[in-house]
Amino acid sequence: MIGVEKRILIVDDDSDFLESLSCFLEANHFLVLKAHDGAQALKLAKIEHPDLILMDVMMGERTEGLFTVQEIRRDPELQDIPIFVLSALYSQVPEFEVSPDRGWLAHDEFLSKPVDMSLLLAKIHQRIGVAR
Amino acid sequence: MRTLKLPKTRLDFFASVVQQFGEVHAPVEQDGKYAFKRLTRWSQARLDYTRTILPPKKYFLPPRETLFRYEDGKGYVPCADGLNERIVLFGVHACDVFALNILDQVFSGSYPDPYYQTRRRNIVIIGIDCTPDDHCFCRSMRADFVERGFDLFFFDIGDYYFTLVGTARGDDMVLAAGSLFEPVTLGDVEEYKRRSSSKRGSFKRDVEIRDLPEIFELEYRSEIWDELGDRCLSCGSCSMVCPTCYCFDVTDDVELGSRTGRRVRTWDSCLFPSHAMTATGEDFRKTRASRIKFRFYHKQRGFVAEYGRPSCVGCGRCTTSCPVKIDVVEVVDRLRGEEYVSKQRSPDVEIRHHGESVSAAHGAARPNLSDGG
Repeated sequence: MIGVEKRILIVDDDSDFLESLSCFLEANHFLVLKAHDGAQALKLAKIEHPDLILMDVMMGERTEGLFTVQEIRRDPELQDIPIFVLSALYSQVPEFEVSPDRGWLAHDEFLSKPVDMSLLLAKIHQRIGVAR
Repeated sequence: MRTLKLPKTRLDFFASVVQQFGEVHAPVEQDGKYAFKRLTRWSQARLDYTRTILPPKKYFLPPRETLFRYEDGKGYVPCADGLNERIVLFGVHACDVFALNILDQVFSGSYPDPYYQTRRRNIVIIGIDCTPDDHCFCRSMRADFVERGFDLFFFDIGDYYFTLVGTARGDDMVLAAGSLFEPVTLGDVEEYKRRSSSKRGSFKRDVEIRDLPEIFELEYRSEIWDELGDRCLSCGSCSMVCPTCYCFDVTDDVELGSRTGRRVRTWDSCLFPSHAMTATGEDFRKTRASRIKFRFYHKQRGFVAEYGRPSCVGCGRCTTSCPVKIDVVEVVDRLRGEEYVSKQRSPDVEIRHHGESVSAAHGAARPNLSDGG
C-alpha cells in the first residue's frame, strides 16, 4: 500500500533556488508546493496544510521570512507545522542571531545558504519521516 | 543610563530580534492617519508618524475588557484573557511614554489594578523621538523627554539611532541583537545634544503651566465655560484619544438564563451625560458646560493637587480629534488673557468672580476659539 505523500512548502523569492530545491525534493518523492513570497506562502499553507515549510528570510523585504514565521506561529491551524529556515542571513549579517526557541520566531532548524542538500534531506527525514 | 547606537540600515533586523520578545506593534498608516497595529511585515511601520489616533493606552487599558466571569456554583472567576500576551510596542513617542508613567501612578496607587499592571509588565516599550507638529505642546507640559517607562528609546542622529537603554529587558534585547549596536562616540553625543537643542526650538505652541491651578481657581466662574458648553457636543472624542484619561465604567453582561455572565470594564468619558448620574437618578453635572469644565479642571488642576503635575502631556490629540475645534492651548490662553485683562481692569475681577456677566468689551478682547486649529 502506498502511503500519503509528504508535502513540503518551499518559500523563496529566488526562482533558481526554488526550482533546484523543488527538483531535489521531488526526486526524493516529496510533493512540493512553491511560494515566492510570504503572503503567497501563508495562503498556500492555509489551503494545503503542508507537513513542512522551508522558509527563506530575505525576500522582498529583508526580514519578510521572519514575519511570515510569526504569522504561521500565531495561526492556530498552522502553528504546529515544522519550519526550517534556509537563509544566507548569517553570512550577510554575521552579527544577527535568532534563537530557534524564542517567541514568534520559533523554528525547528536553521540552515545557512548555500544549503548542504544531503544534510537538509537527513533533517527532513528526521523531522517528518521519509516521503512515503 | 546605558547609551549605544544602532545603524539605521540595521533597524529592520533589530525589529526581528525583538520579535523574539513579543509580537511587534508599531504605527501604521491608515487613511492618512496613524494607528498602532500588529505588523505583518516591517515595511508597514511608519516611525516618522506625527501622532496615532489612539494612544498606546489602548494596550494597557483596553476599550473593553472582561474582568470576571461568574457562574452558578463557582462564583466569580477572574478573567485573564490576553493578559499574558507578549507585545513589543515599537516607536512610542516621549509624550505617550510620559502618559503611561502617569497612568502607572493612577493604577498602582490606593487601589492597584492587577490587569493594568500585568499588561505593563508584559508589554515592551521601544520609544522613538519625534518632530513636533502644529498641535504639539508636550515641551510646555514637560513631557517631551522621558527618563523612565521604556525599555529602549531611539533618537535620530543621522545615520544612527542614539539609543537609551531603560531597563534590564532593554539590555536583554541589546544582547540578543549581537553586535548590531555599537558604542557611542563623543561625536554622537554632540550630535544628540545638537538635535535635542534644535527640537526644543521647533515647538510652535507654548502654554505656561506653573500657576495653572491658580488660574483655574480664579476663573472658576468665567463665561468661557458656558461658551465651551454651547460648542461642545459631548461626544467624548477628547477622552477617547487622550493618553491619560482613565475613566471607566463597569457593567455586568448577564447571559440568557441569568445564572452566568461577565463583569466588563469599558472606557467612559466625563463628557458623557451619564458620567455623573447616580443610581438614584441624581446628576451632578447636567449641563455640557459643567462637564467640559470638569474635564479641564480634573486634568489641569485636580491632578496637580493629587499627583503634583497636570495629567495633560501636550500630545495634541484632543485638539485634532475635536469636531468643533475646542483647543486646550487656546482655552488656557484665554483664561490667562482674561486674568491679564482683569488686572488691567481691576473692577472686573470682583464682578466676574461673583458670577455676573462680563462686559462685551471684555469678551471682544478674547480671541475667537473657533479660529484655532
